[in-house]
Amino acid sequence: MTNRDTLMEQVRDHVAKALGHLDGVLALRRTGVGTAPYLFQKGDDLSSLVLEPRYPMAKIISSLQKRHPDAEFGIIARACDARALVEMAKREQIQPDRLYLIGVACTAEEAEECHCAEPAPDLDPWPHAELFGTPAEGAPPNPLVSTYNEMSLHERRAFWEEQFQKCLKCYGCRDICPVCFCESCALEDPLWVEPGELAPPFPMFHLIKAMHMSGRCVACRQCELACPAHIPLTVLYDLIQQDVGEMLGYEPGADLETPPPLQVTFDKAPLRTEIAE
Amino acid sequence: MTENFEPKVIAFLCNWCSYAGADNAGVARMPSPANVLPIRVMCSGRVSPEMVLRAFRSGADGVLVLGCHIGDCHYIDGNHRTAKRMPLVRNLLGYVGINPDRLRLDWVSSAEAPKFARVTREFVETVRALGPLEDEMRGDDD
Repeated sequence: MTNRDTLMEQVRDHVAKALGHLDGVLALRRTGVGTAPYLFQKGDDLSSLVLEPRYPMAKIISSLQKRHPDAEFGIIARACDARALVEMAKREQIQPDRLYLIGVACTAEEAEECHCAEPAPDLDPWPHAELFGTPAEGAPPNPLVSTYNEMSLHERRAFWEEQFQKCLKCYGCRDICPVCFCESCALEDPLWVEPGELAPPFPMFHLIKAMHMSGRCVACRQCELACPAHIPLTVLYDLIQQDVGEMLGYEPGADLETPPPLQVTFDKAPLRTEIAE
Repeated sequence: MTENFEPKVIAFLCNWCSYAGADNAGVARMPSPANVLPIRVMCSGRVSPEMVLRAFRSGADGVLVLGCHIGDCHYIDGNHRTAKRMPLVRNLLGYVGINPDRLRLDWVSSAEAPKFARVTREFVETVRALGPLEDEMRGDDD
């Protein structure tokens, strides 16, 4: 039995116990036809509960909580899921008080794949939480991000123009994003994004998305995984997140108290750099 | 770069300070460039990143966002959001290879007609030096 199998057994045992007092636990279920999110309830066969692949659950638990305003749910969360849940809670999309977090640490290889700096979920923000698995070391950032300043404006434009030209406008990046929840989306507004144009005109579509991700992106890399055109979207999001960190001292998903800086005034989130030029 | 290039500049002016400042500059007959097309908004906080991008997409070579000074906002703190948002938009433009100097944020009160004239003059010269955005997008600039 590998470490990963032992971990899965531990998680299944724990879920079985937790279902004694919870109304359900949101996790992945593997059946003959594939793997999909599933709300495990008392009496369900837990041997079909699996931990892979990574799949963002924040939006699903948000809609479950809204539909069942009194229920207490559990959720299996990796580090990025936990960060996404924090961002969603800050935006009133999740109620942390009635959410039980079953944290699962990612392996070092998984962290490497995602350029993830914190592969183990931080349980501090959560009133009810438990961690499984051994926390691994964080991986270094995407080399493209760390060397980005060396690129000239011309190189950057050439790079992104080539990338964005591949865009099919499938909205997969938005749909998979665990922190994108608006009911009316700016990317579907014909005022900002012309309908029927493929690829979406450079660079409106992608810059609007990037701007909406600032102070919000939890670096789960799901948009990149979902993108059928393999556009390295998180390079842009990582860069803007660095700026948000420097300018506003904000780290998405770190705690439940700090308000999202772009939504509040200077007394709640001051600007650390000079105002205007 | 095109000879005799006259840049198109969209200026988002807040109703309470900058628009009044622009008005006063006109009344006082201070020369300010005709390249600037003003759009009056109720507050600089109304200027969303989408509006800035749309201005560029619609043919602007530069976008100017002017609002009340911090602390003087008619809506108390509307311009706090502008002050946080616009630098991020500038950075994003830079990340995809559009010169961030094509977007400028500044504060002009209703009493600062000379500043309005100066800022618009300066900005038009900046954009003139950068050349048409269209050329930059085609990669003709360097």
